[in-house]
Amino acid sequence: MAVSRTSKKIAILYGSETGNSHDFAQILSFKLHRLHFTHTLSSLADYTPQDILSCRYLFIICSTTGQGELPRNVSERSHGSDRHNTIWSFLKKRNLPNDFLNHVSVAFLGLGDSSYPKFNYAIRMLHKRIVNQLGARELFDRLEADELSMEGSNKGTGTGIETVYFEYEKRILKFLTESFPHRKVDGQVLERQEIPEDVYLEPPSFLKLGSNEIESNEVMFEGDESVRRGKVVKNERITAQDHFQDVRQFVFSMEFEEKYYSADTVSIYPCNNDNSVNRFLELQPRWAEIADKPLEFTAGVPNELKDGGLVRPLTLRNLLKYHCDIASIPRTSFFMKVWAFATDVSRLEEGEEQLQQQREKLHQFATDQDMQDLYDYCNKPRRSILEVLQDFLSIDLPWKYALDYLPLIKPRYFSISSGPCDPNVELTIAIVKYRTMLRKIREGLCTNYLTSLVENDEIRYKVQNKNSFKKDEIRGKPAILVSPGVGLAPMMSVIRSNMFSDIHLFFGNRYMNSDFLYREQLESWNQQGKILLHTCFSRDRENSPNLKYVQDILWEMGETIFDLMVNKNAVLFLCGSSGKMPVQVRITLIEIIKKWGHFKNDEEAQSYLKKMEKENRYLQETW
Amino acid sequence: MASTKTGLVLIHPGATEDPSSVVNAQEQARSEGVSVEAQFLINKINDGSVKLEDNHYDEVRYVTPEASDEIRFPSKLIGVIGKSLKTNGKLYGLSDLYKLDALINEFEISRSENHYCWIKKASIKAEPVAVPLRNHKKTTTPGTTTTAKKSLPIFKRATDNDSTKNKQQKQQHTGPARVSLDSEDEDEESEGSSDPSDSKSKFFEKSGSPLTENDSIEEDELVDENEMREPSLTMITCGKSKTRRRKACKDCTCGQKEIEEEELDGVRKQQDKVVKFSDQELTEIDFTVQGKKVGGCGSCTLGDAFRCSGCPYLGLPAFKPGQQIDLSSMGDDL
Repeated sequence: MAVSRTSKKIAILYGSETGNSHDFAQILSFKLHRLHFTHTLSSLADYTPQDILSCRYLFIICSTTGQGELPRNVSERSHGSDRHNTIWSFLKKRNLPNDFLNHVSVAFLGLGDSSYPKFNYAIRMLHKRIVNQLGARELFDRLEADELSMEGSNKGTGTGIETVYFEYEKRILKFLTESFPHRKVDGQVLERQEIPEDVYLEPPSFLKLGSNEIESNEVMFEGDESVRRGKVVKNERITAQDHFQDVRQFVFSMEFEEKYYSADTVSIYPCNNDNSVNRFLELQPRWAEIADKPLEFTAGVPNELKDGGLVRPLTLRNLLKYHCDIASIPRTSFFMKVWAFATDVSRLEEGEEQLQQQREKLHQFATDQDMQDLYDYCNKPRRSILEVLQDFLSIDLPWKYALDYLPLIKPRYFSISSGPCDPNVELTIAIVKYRTMLRKIREGLCTNYLTSLVENDEIRYKVQNKNSFKKDEIRGKPAILVSPGVGLAPMMSVIRSNMFSDIHLFFGNRYMNSDFLYREQLESWNQQGKILLHTCFSRDRENSPNLKYVQDILWEMGETIFDLMVNKNAVLFLCGSSGKMPVQVRITLIEIIKKWGHFKNDEEAQSYLKKMEKENRYLQETW
Repeated sequence: MASTKTGLVLIHPGATEDPSSVVNAQEQARSEGVSVEAQFLINKINDGSVKLEDNHYDEVRYVTPEASDEIRFPSKLIGVIGKSLKTNGKLYGLSDLYKLDALINEFEISRSENHYCWIKKASIKAEPVAVPLRNHKKTTTPGTTTTAKKSLPIFKRATDNDSTKNKQQKQQHTGPARVSLDSEDEDEESEGSSDPSDSKSKFFEKSGSPLTENDSIEEDELVDENEMREPSLTMITCGKSKTRRRKACKDCTCGQKEIEEEELDGVRKQQDKVVKFSDQELTEIDFTVQGKKVGGCGSCTLGDAFRCSGCPYLGLPAFKPGQQIDLSSMGDDL
């Protein structure tokens, strides 16, 4: 058993939206611990800003989200009251001298998606500020990976984001081991040698049986002042029962009044259902024995557990239900930590031989750099950790390190549909359910949790103010709202806010009679003249004979759209699923202003849209 | 950064009585990735019988039995050693007693961590003397000479000028920033705040007035249009690759996505052919029953990680022959 310790000299910081950057940061952290390089691992937002003064080597892995934005865990701490006091908000202070970071050597890895105009914008912003403006030294030029393409590289550097990551890792490890081939232990200088890979690195703080009895079985959450408790007011399906998709109008009352505006979001803290928890306990019988015994931490509550508050009473059952994401798809870092726990031969039909087979397979998932087998086995069919444990009965997990190797449940973000500051927060939520090659239907953890809620149930939430609409600038301007499907969610709030003079709402879905969301409300607003409603239904020839998609209506109304956008300085807000829709809408808009405007070519039209973006008149929220 | 660095050990005649101090110096050098090419008695250099190559060493260590505030060292040799060092090369073993000589010979004194050393700087043309002199007054105040650890870095200005020249940064990273990390393995807390903290920590002090938007730079202005077009080192774009990795891009146009969909259809058909059951049923799969097909690999029971690509049981959990597969335990079906 080796113990992993922390130090401020080396810091691995990540900004992650979907979890890739986080996973890579964990892999890098794991590798550094193996080489006895003590360090700090943290999201950018949860990093203590003052620690930068003690930092000498800084490794930043960050993705870009939305329209060239930094991921949430760069700009907002996961817990506590002063959530905007982050290293990034500190580094943006104007009064810092240009040598402020000259004591730091830094290396960047950006994860991006080149289908977005502001590809890898986040890492470029960080780089510009930290290196060019504040004088940090770069160990090597920053690396940028493109998530769009998982294979192939025209520069021969690799095949996908993981290849770029491993290049990054290679350079860092080479630099560190060459610079510091020795380490000191109790004053003795030792050769720096890698810890054997089947030795588990004990985290700084882990679980042990508690000394006090559980006083109350009431479930509570402690340690995060910013989390709120809401009460469910309404949870109603708004698509037809026979429609393939279940979309909910979900309303909860706030714990106390809090300001929010259109395009703001709330995060909701989901939990696992009891079935999953019980199944896990069945698969790990040693856990089941003490599942309801009181536990405590050997050295304090790890920071990552504070987001949303740590569950009380602290038992394995509660941790599995409220904190451990056992229904998530395991990542490389999970296999890196647990493969060596495949030691139990007693549940294997084929005995020792099968044990070796399972160990090898798990080891392969943990270490293969192309991640192909892991992808085929886990990502592609969306296989959960629970299902992996069912397939690999040799895995005998020690519960005391549970929070070190099991991923944690993260809050999910939803656009607000209710009007600004309404104490009853309304959300429009599409329930996630789909098939893969696995026999079991796949379900989204959070939306599955939400479907189970009934009136007066309690939820944990936080509000995120995004300030998307700078009110003074746009008040009284016309608005073009483009929102196929559940993209309608924030539009409902925009319409209710009365910010705009006249609103054109473009809504599309599959069938007029099964998934025309908020039909009555929208049609009545249309009649009152509050909005001009334009609809289309992609699979409903009867009710939408000529128009399939929102961009088709935009094109049909090209002249009006042009007039609104160019002559009347309208604000355009585009919302819905990412992928083809936002791209095609944009292309359509370019064609429109080319045809009806005096724009000679694509480039001129493009630059007009960019100007709109600069003026906060072209807003996009896609997921 | 791959090539090893060259070092030199210079020895005070008195140090020969204590060979371990020389060995120590060699080890220290090695621990920083420096290979010691030669060692000489300092008087050999002083009398000119040994000549040092110019701009040759990354590191020179002077070993002397004298206490740091009692060192007696021929000043003219400081220039000689300075010449033999590369830019950013380090000289260990001298003390603040000679800092004026250090200055004249274009050394910067580094007090980072518990490493006190002199670092050879590149010649700075603009007023090389004017800046340090201001610091000079400060540092000659009594008491600062030997207890240098916590004081502000001397000659800090000179470094500042350097670091603003962005072009130099890449080459510099092998220089002063490479303090030994090794010591921190022992005990991080004990080291306290080191030099940059002292001068920079003031920026963390809470100012009386709350932070307004104007106090921060505009994030959106950091990266401009032109920079967005600038190609980056590891842009990865779609194309057929030689590696194993097969995964369709999000906006796949090369046909990979269709291939994947066909595969999925194939799996579904296989599933239906062999083990037909409704999703809501608990199903028993019994290998002892005649007529049940099994995959060619013999790994049907072992789970998807081991099944062959044509296995009819793909998509089902691992199971034991003759036992029920409890599908409901994994959550609800549609």
